[in-house]
Amino acid sequence: MKKKLKFNACVGGILTGGMLLFILTGIFFLPYDPDAMNAELRFAGMSLAHPLGCDNYGRDILTRMLVGSRTTLLVALGTIVVGGGVGTLVGALTGYFGGWLDEVMMRVIDALFAFPSILLALVVVSLLGAGKYNVILALGIAFIPSFARVVRSQYLKLKEMDYVKNARIIGCGHFRIIFVHILPNTLSVLVPTLMIGFNNAVLAEAGMSYLGIGVQPPDASLGRMLSEAQTYLFAHPLQAISPGFAIVLLVLGFSLLADAMEEKGCRC
Amino acid sequence: MKRSISMLLVVVVSLALALTGCSGEKQGESTESQITIGIPQDIEDSLDPHKAVAAGTEEVYFNIYEGLVKPDSDGNLIPALASDYTVSPDQTTYTFTIRDGVKFHSGKELTVDDVVYSLKRCSNPDDPVLLQAGMTGIESIAAADDSTVVVTLKEPNADFLCEMTAAIIPQSNEDPDHVSDGTGPYKFVSHSPQESFVLEKYDEYWGEPAHIEKVTLKVCANADSLVMELNGGSIDMMARVTSTQADQLSDDFNVLEGTMNLVQALYLNNAAKPFDDVRVRQALCYAVDRQNILDLTSDGHGTIIGSSMYPAFGKYYMEELSDYYPHDVEKAKALLAEAGYEDGFTFTIKVPSNYTQHVEVAQVIADQLKAVGVDARIQLIEWETWLSDVYSGRNFEGTVVGLDASTLAASSMLLRFNSDNSKNFVNYNNPDYDAAYSRAVSTTDDARRTEAYQECERILTETAANVYVQDLAEFVALNKKYAGYEFYPLYIQNFASLYIVEE
Amino acid sequence: MKYVGRKILTMLFTLLLVSFLVFLCFTVIPGDPAIARLGTDATPEAIEMLREEMGLNRPFLVRYADWLLSFARGNFGDSYSYSMSVADLLLDKVPITLAMSLMSIAMIVVISIPLGLYTARHEGSVIDKLIYALNQVIMAVPPFFSGILITLLFGIFLKLFTPGGYVSYTTDVTGFLGYLFFPSIAIALPKIAMTVKLLRSELIEEKKQDYARTAYSRGNHTGGVLYKHVLKNAMLPIITFLGMAFTDMIAGSIVVEQVFSIPGIGRILLTSISRRDYPVVMAVVVCLAAVVIVVNGVIDIIYQWIDPRIRLEGEKS
Repeated sequence: MKKKLKFNACVGGILTGGMLLFILTGIFFLPYDPDAMNAELRFAGMSLAHPLGCDNYGRDILTRMLVGSRTTLLVALGTIVVGGGVGTLVGALTGYFGGWLDEVMMRVIDALFAFPSILLALVVVSLLGAGKYNVILALGIAFIPSFARVVRSQYLKLKEMDYVKNARIIGCGHFRIIFVHILPNTLSVLVPTLMIGFNNAVLAEAGMSYLGIGVQPPDASLGRMLSEAQTYLFAHPLQAISPGFAIVLLVLGFSLLADAMEEKGCRC
Repeated sequence: MKRSISMLLVVVVSLALALTGCSGEKQGESTESQITIGIPQDIEDSLDPHKAVAAGTEEVYFNIYEGLVKPDSDGNLIPALASDYTVSPDQTTYTFTIRDGVKFHSGKELTVDDVVYSLKRCSNPDDPVLLQAGMTGIESIAAADDSTVVVTLKEPNADFLCEMTAAIIPQSNEDPDHVSDGTGPYKFVSHSPQESFVLEKYDEYWGEPAHIEKVTLKVCANADSLVMELNGGSIDMMARVTSTQADQLSDDFNVLEGTMNLVQALYLNNAAKPFDDVRVRQALCYAVDRQNILDLTSDGHGTIIGSSMYPAFGKYYMEELSDYYPHDVEKAKALLAEAGYEDGFTFTIKVPSNYTQHVEVAQVIADQLKAVGVDARIQLIEWETWLSDVYSGRNFEGTVVGLDASTLAASSMLLRFNSDNSKNFVNYNNPDYDAAYSRAVSTTDDARRTEAYQECERILTETAANVYVQDLAEFVALNKKYAGYEFYPLYIQNFASLYIVEE
Repeated sequence: MKYVGRKILTMLFTLLLVSFLVFLCFTVIPGDPAIARLGTDATPEAIEMLREEMGLNRPFLVRYADWLLSFARGNFGDSYSYSMSVADLLLDKVPITLAMSLMSIAMIVVISIPLGLYTARHEGSVIDKLIYALNQVIMAVPPFFSGILITLLFGIFLKLFTPGGYVSYTTDVTGFLGYLFFPSIAIALPKIAMTVKLLRSELIEEKKQDYARTAYSRGNHTGGVLYKHVLKNAMLPIITFLGMAFTDMIAGSIVVEQVFSIPGIGRILLTSISRRDYPVVMAVVVCLAAVVIVVNGVIDIIYQWIDPRIRLEGEKS
């Protein structure tokens, strides 16, 4: 058991670290202009100059991967910051205080949960226009309910704990109790949830790109590159393989880490 | 328990495999000749031909409904439900002789009353939904006798005959929204939304009958899975595939090349800054490398054009305008500097996201404009948002779309650039143009009219009304089992000419 | 009973909230249904006439109240873009998506329970590790891409089905089910992976409980304890998960329907949103939301019925 755990953490760490390193490289160094088109290089195969080949516009795929994975990371992180932040806040307040606030907020959360996320995304995109920041907003809103529920249930459980009662007796304010006393104790559950949320955001971004409401061209994201490439899947499978592989590695790394953390959380 | 579950698994999987095995062989059963044709959008309008607005619907209805005249594959108007027609010398009176022995799909005989009813129906100004744009100049429609209909115009209009392609439907049909009754070589059978639209050969067609008994139009909304569907064999024909899609087709297909018959351009809002300055528009024309666009998006296929007219218009088309603005970055920069934009500017190109070919071209243009310091941002919007915001609302800076023509009258391309026209969504405003256009429509002399229309085209080019790009190449994928596909210079698919190749 | 009654009331309220939100969304997003229907031929007069005909010129709240009243009476209205009633349209399309979802659920149950049991029993074995790794990879593939890979593998290379060769259930039921089998795999795959993982960890957790140890000590063999005692207790979270997965699946079928060219509810929803066909969108969204809310509500009720502590908590707050 312990051995496997270590193995998970190891592989997950290596994958995630590798991807982060890749993304970091892209911030400081890009071999080409990611959007520069070149008719002579359409569908160019692998070569020393273009290690992953070129796409249908003759753009260097490696460069676009460097930029695209950065966008994907930004969208996924942004989503869990928005969704996780608001969700945690709502879950904490409703779980701790209960009463009418809980009743009203949970109905809104239920309604949001029952609202097809694709419709939500379409509404946000139609209203504000497409683009990565609006994708973050759309996905963030769609992710609020799941975080709110997890956090709320933790607060319901933890607020009855003795240490919370003690804190109240010695005169701590509600907000101090909520954020200083209880919040750190939810982390063992919250962190894996956030990591799974991150993965879902990566996959959801790809889905939105597929439906044409994701990141706008010529911007690159892994999902957008993958969905653009599928048009040429028969003749030029290379164009799909790189972004597809990158998505799988990114998600795999995070979910292995999340597993490792969850198990560790259970143990202590 | 474990064993029973595994058993269940085996049963379910084998059952499913057996099912798919069965379904794989289903095609061989019927002896009736049939073809499945992919269409990119559902036929969403009502079955009433006068209400049909989507180009994709009209091209299908061409097979079901007919007018007094109809276009042939060269774009010439040939008699259809009128066996003959005469035009008075002053071009205000059109006399049509109704063809004998034409029957509607319902079995009812075509009469002059049906013709008068149909023409009045779509020229009634009190019903703006049914009203066809070109029918507003009609003075009267009347039956002279049992086989003659006379249409009188308020003023001469040389292009009026084009409007007489309007569908004739029987007066007795009380619910044309839901009941289809036409005279074409195919009749309507069924429609299942987002799924299929089925046509069947009409045996009592007055003209040359169709060859294939049953035509199933299958909605293939997802352009990305199209190649798989063609190669997999679930559709036999698809019009307007891209060159990259065509490249990936298997040996079972013939790829026919024609032109799409539309004017693809970066349409600019002439009323919005900075495009209200002719030098800025000209600079963009110089900055765009059209051949490069063709190379990057369609392997060099397509016809470069320089004005709002495409080659199928024959005598009206002016080839010399296509290289009026050769690719010249320095000249573009100089013009921008002259207009006060030395450092370039930023603007947004709105593109309807469902049209891959326009989205692709917009991306290439945005990349090319970078060379002259212009930062073009692309915003993909839904077609419906494009219609309400860009087309009706005129709230845009630039947009890449293709405009097609409903008839081969030059006016159908050029009317919209009159400064007060309701369809002038680019807000083009030029008194010279308006004058040249009104000269063209008021004359009855063909040579002088052609000259005036050409004048209009030249003005559009010289003032760089829009950044004209190309008439796109059209590729039709047709399974080798079938032949007989005909290209039309208009947005038309003629299923009646298709036939099965004997092996 | 009091709990159940209150639960139903809150469920209705949530549904009302959803319908209001959707209605609100469609009044604020750009795009006009009248213009959408008239296309590029639209004249201002025609747009005005059609708007009047569709009742779009009335104030927002009046339209919402009007919609709500007729919806409550079971009248879903007429579609703007198809000349048929919304009820007819949905009756035609619901069986497609439903059949696909049920098939996926069947696959999930049939495949993931044995796999979950096996991996829990042989915890740490090579096969357990292999399945774990496979699960992780499956969960990391974007759904649309796994759909494309399935089409490539089964449709193009193995030729088990014709890509895009959907046949209607009205003409050929076996062909219909045979075609839907493959998209169902695409929907089921990630859920199978998740269920196996969840079931495995639940079973391992339950195995450590006192009652399981007692059962062992009484001389039951490992398999017997696992199936007779532990599975029963571990099923509760699994049923919850499956309930959620089912609702998730109906909504998630949008992408898979797009990949496999299936004219189901997801496709109708997507095109209706873009055609601004509000009556259809309202009906689909509210019905989907109703399913989600009811399933969640029922799960809550089952939970408190099994575990009365939850009820106490609920009444206290």
